Amino acid sequence: MSPRDPFSAPNITRRSFLVAGSLTGVAAFIAACGTSGTANTQTPTGTPAATAGASPAATAAPTPKPTTSAELNWANWTYYMDTDPNDATKFPTLEQFKTKYGTTVNYQEVIDDNDSFLGTIQPQLQHSQDTGWDIIVMTDWMAARIIRLGWAEKMDLGNMPNVTANLQDVYKDVTWDATNDHHVPWQSGMTGLGYDKAKTGALTSLAEFYDPKYKGKVDYLTEMRDTIGLTMLKLGLDPSKATRADCDKAIAEIKKAKDAGIIRAFKGNAYADDLRTGTIVLSMAWSGDMVQALIDKPSLAFTVGSEGGMLWTDNCMIPKGAKNKYTAEVMIDFCYDPKIAAQIEAGVNYICPNKGAADVLKANNPDAANNPLIFPPADILARLHIFVGLSEDDEKYFNDQFATVSGLG
Amino acid sequence: MGAFLRRHRGLTPYLLLAPGLLWLAVFYLGPSVQMAVSSFWSGSLEKGYVFSFANVTNYTKALTRFEPQFLRSILYGGAATILTFLIAYPLAYAIAFRGGRFRNLLLFLVIAPFFTSFLLRTLSWKIILGDVGPFLGPLKAIHLLPDDFRLLATPIAVVSGITYNFLPFMTLPIYVSLEKIDFRLIEAAQDLYANRFGAFQRVTFPLSLPGVFAGSLLTFIPAVGDYVNAELLGNPDTTMIGNVIQNQFLTQNNYPTASALSFLLMAGILIAVVVYARLLGTEELTAGGA
Repeated sequence: MSPRDPFSAPNITRRSFLVAGSLTGVAAFIAACGTSGTANTQTPTGTPAATAGASPAATAAPTPKPTTSAELNWANWTYYMDTDPNDATKFPTLEQFKTKYGTTVNYQEVIDDNDSFLGTIQPQLQHSQDTGWDIIVMTDWMAARIIRLGWAEKMDLGNMPNVTANLQDVYKDVTWDATNDHHVPWQSGMTGLGYDKAKTGALTSLAEFYDPKYKGKVDYLTEMRDTIGLTMLKLGLDPSKATRADCDKAIAEIKKAKDAGIIRAFKGNAYADDLRTGTIVLSMAWSGDMVQALIDKPSLAFTVGSEGGMLWTDNCMIPKGAKNKYTAEVMIDFCYDPKIAAQIEAGVNYICPNKGAADVLKANNPDAANNPLIFPPADILARLHIFVGLSEDDEKYFNDQFATVSGLG
Repeated sequence: MGAFLRRHRGLTPYLLLAPGLLWLAVFYLGPSVQMAVSSFWSGSLEKGYVFSFANVTNYTKALTRFEPQFLRSILYGGAATILTFLIAYPLAYAIAFRGGRFRNLLLFLVIAPFFTSFLLRTLSWKIILGDVGPFLGPLKAIHLLPDDFRLLATPIAVVSGITYNFLPFMTLPIYVSLEKIDFRLIEAAQDLYANRFGAFQRVTFPLSLPGVFAGSLLTFIPAVGDYVNAELLGNPDTTMIGNVIQNQFLTQNNYPTASALSFLLMAGILIAVVVYARLLGTEELTAGGA
């Protein structure tokens, strides 16, 4: 090495480098300590004053009729709204809303996972700030958590006559929203038996999931509430009242099936591919996926077990501190008009929570109206169960047990 | 700038180091410190987290509870590393010494799979190894294999998937170290009555060790932490530590345990690498650069 080479000169000694490096580390450490803890110290207080739909202060004499705002921000999952057949970026329902109320809906398909979406708005909610959204759509258990944390606005049902009139009874009085005014169901799905009837014949019982004759040919779901829920139903337990003891019984049953080699894998939506390729013959399955899978492979079938099935729902909620609460209520109510609900349903393959939509669809889209996966008949609806809203500690317990039985320690 | 540098010559190395150090400080050191802090938390997402050094039990509990997944990860990662070595060495050797004018084309083919996504490549293994797929289907049809035989959802599938996905990481460093070997050294060995195998054993292979070392680190380290192969090709009894960390972070929101697991994984890999470096002999590793 030439002595002119700067690296050969004692400019950076090992010692000075280490000192500088450790100083940087200490600084970062101190900075990081300050951000620890995400405690929700906010107690749910009244509606922020700025909210459009808030009842005015006690002094105001006659209640002025609230007006709809110029814009509304709605976060939803993909394929959850009807689109214009000629232009997939246009949403007829939202355009009709604009015509009627003058509100431009900023509709964004930004949700593809409950946890990660909540992560994007959690800091604002913790500090009682506006999240930027007026309507968000969350699955039952996450909706339950958000309500438990006091992060959802109480809706004024007086502004929502269509919801009151048309919401199906099975969705009412869930344990986690006893007053029915913090969430409104958007779309639902059923969890039941998805199978290849060419290989298995027609199936009706949840007991098939635990039958050694399908050894290595059965997928269970990674979604804890579905797999534990169906197992509880098989055992004659009620998932809408699940306790830790019930959880233990279900876990023991799942473990038995796993140890016997019946369960091939725990899967998310990928079970549908396994059914299509013939890798498995039976899986715990979601009705919405199966509508599509049936088209690709007609020998597939979906059945709600005779012991029962799970009903899960994605729900509209108004996050705490939303700027346009009143308009959000009007928007949700607008979608509960049976005509609008039918229009949405014709573009979406899930279960419609609206009582009147099927009648409207029968006239102009009988295929959708008669599809039992979209409009399940009353005897099936009666067999469906919504998983109990778990407390944080119980949720942790259930998740922990389920992780262990699915091989995740 | 030039005049400034001439006057303050001592600054040059720092300036050269600055972009890399800054990058690492922001994207490696920062998150690592954050993770180190959260590994000493107790509490929950909803009730808030409290920092305390007493929570060092997060580490001991995690190690006890997830020991099977840790051991399995090291085992699968190690098996995949050995397999990639056995496949990659002859491949790199052939390209380096027998590639001729096709050398560049062959090298391109080695890295060509990287032009598609990791996920897609792994998913395609599901089709290839499928129970009634193009490989097992015909064998079952002629009753060479029983009907319930399967490769998917077995450890074989997981290790094969990892081996396939990391093959280029082993091939390229070995190729580089073989390619720069001065062929006259091998000729000299032959002049000294070494047969072909002897020349390989005493000259070629030792000179290629830096490549083998680099390649096995590039394979082993990410392979141990991999969770995609186990998730897509495995079963509930083949879960690796990466799957556990993913579940703890994303499903259970258990940041303390997940962070502790990540550090334990880092420590485990570090120990394995140090042992490996000792076994191989550190002076061998720098010899190739002379």
